[in-house]
Amino acid sequence: MRMVVILGRVLDPSGIVVNRRAGRVFVNREEYILQPADRCALEAALRIKDTTGAEVVALPRSPLPDDDVLRQALSTGADRAVYLAGQVGNLPHAGDAVMARVLAAAVERLGGADVILTGATTLDTDQSQLGPRLAEALGWPQIVGAWQVETVNGRVQAVRQASPPLVGEDGGKAGYVAVEADLPAVVTVLPGALKPRYPDGVRLINIYRAEDAVEQWDVGDLVDEAALRPLLEKRGQDFPPQRERGVRVSGTPEEMAQALADALRQRVRG
Amino acid sequence: MDASYLDLLMAQQEQADKQHPAPEEEVAEGGGGGIWVVADVVDGAVAPVTLEALSAARTLADSLGAYVYGVLLGGGVTDLAQTLYQAGADGVRVASLTADHPSPAQADKQHPFALEPYLKVLSDLFEAEQPEVIIFGATRQGQELAPRLAQRMGGGLIEHVTAVSLDEATRTVQASFPIYGGEYFEIAACPEARPQFLTVEPGAFPAPFIDSYRKGEPTMLEIEPVEPAVRVVGTAEDADKQHPADKQHPADKQHPFEPPPVPLAQAPVIVAAGRQAGDFDLVKQLAAALGGRVAGDRGARDAGWIGPEQIVDVRGVMVAPQVYVAVGIRGDTFHNAAIEDAKFIVAIHPDPDAPIFQVADLCLEAEPKEVLPALLEVLEE
Repeated sequence: MRMVVILGRVLDPSGIVVNRRAGRVFVNREEYILQPADRCALEAALRIKDTTGAEVVALPRSPLPDDDVLRQALSTGADRAVYLAGQVGNLPHAGDAVMARVLAAAVERLGGADVILTGATTLDTDQSQLGPRLAEALGWPQIVGAWQVETVNGRVQAVRQASPPLVGEDGGKAGYVAVEADLPAVVTVLPGALKPRYPDGVRLINIYRAEDAVEQWDVGDLVDEAALRPLLEKRGQDFPPQRERGVRVSGTPEEMAQALADALRQRVRG
Repeated sequence: MDASYLDLLMAQQEQADKQHPAPEEEVAEGGGGGIWVVADVVDGAVAPVTLEALSAARTLADSLGAYVYGVLLGGGVTDLAQTLYQAGADGVRVASLTADHPSPAQADKQHPFALEPYLKVLSDLFEAEQPEVIIFGATRQGQELAPRLAQRMGGGLIEHVTAVSLDEATRTVQASFPIYGGEYFEIAACPEARPQFLTVEPGAFPAPFIDSYRKGEPTMLEIEPVEPAVRVVGTAEDADKQHPADKQHPADKQHPFEPPPVPLAQAPVIVAAGRQAGDFDLVKQLAAALGGRVAGDRGARDAGWIGPEQIVDVRGVMVAPQVYVAVGIRGDTFHNAAIEDAKFIVAIHPDPDAPIFQVADLCLEAEPKEVLPALLEVLEE
């Protein structure tokens, strides 16, 4: 069995400051992290690997300037990683339509796969289209927003939220359903669904030292040049206005408490 | 002008409508295939996000000179067509997918939303109609259908749209979507590929004016049965029973299934603590008194008061409660962005220059441990 995990990276939000008045994003520390949802997808794949011994292949969500996310995947337990070299679009994730085609071709070149796992959303742009688009490009079923994933007898089973999400008194267990689909299938995993494991230390060092740990394919070899044009283009940025300053309350603690209680009563109970 | 005159006028208008029915089947001049909204049906009613999508569609359609069409999918939804007409649709198509093809409304209860039957209906419909713009709600249904349909038809999809404008020369929709949950917005457009797909964020657009005098006759669509590829096998508990604990791989403890707690993001009242909160017990008492949830910023996490899932931050949980009480939170950029959608923000902090005061609606410059006991006393009364 072969599983493909599709991983992306995101600029660590703790390293950036958004200045609305200046209408600019200042990057203080340019550090990229694995997309949280993709990290959970990787963990889901590794758990299936633990029980079934399946092969895990890591592919990138979009062409990246470096192969760091792939090396992270390898050191955490993936068997194989393929770096895709090329250029698709300038807007983050604008190339999802193209990437779906590229990844479908890459999966074909790998010799097919049984399960493709990826994150259900991206942290920065909150895009969830890559998984379904890839499923469509391959003509496979899709399970979107899984909280648990496992494979049983040629089927993939998942627990995912019912539609629309039900929030019950009991904490929401009733709002979840178990679903299954025949293999091959595309499954997208919610961020926070599984607790990701740490990479193995020795493996980590070896993977980062080995120059040939990651295979390299060219995007242009997978699909024709014409198909590489992104459908979306960036038309600018928009910064919401700064929120207006509120009312200041002063006085003794008792007076403040009274004013606050009045305001809260109006809004909480009313 | 008194009311009876108004009634008379309206009756005349209705009569005129009967004689000259709405020209819904005509192709608008230069209007292409129109703007289509695929409705979400929740609990047997049209979801608010669909009405908001219709209002956005109406604005676009009026500038483009195009018609707005609504599509209703599911069992027993024919009656809802009038709601779409009233909200501004010029034409409505209904695909009645019954028993064998569960609708999302039924999916709420037992069945999942069945993708393939919907996909078949919509792709057949849109191949025939060649719409310019297709709008979904950014709901589960929209997020599953829109990307697949976009890939099938070769269209571009912009997700979680919060504002739209029009590039009239090329009839291209320019849409804003939030980055890092609304820290700022990126504007994108799909210049060449048609149709242009959008999923609109719930609550981002104003609800349309409901014109109860608007009405029309929906067109029923032919359905070919398609088998859904993803089957529901039961509830989360059923999945547990198939996997007895002793047969599981040690690293694979997925059962029994533990659902995620009710998301903090959906809590109506949140009391959050920060480094300056002083006494965390008081914060918990305040949350109990207000019937709210306890949360905090990174400082509270460092102090060991809360778990990582309770951190209110762009990197943690984004919240949108009715009331957010920030106790001793200084309020860095990411915390303040995460509470941006809160309706009413109270900040208690001793430092008058704390950034939290720039976003709060009610600002108390005081030591929380002095104010909170007094507040609890007053609230108890």
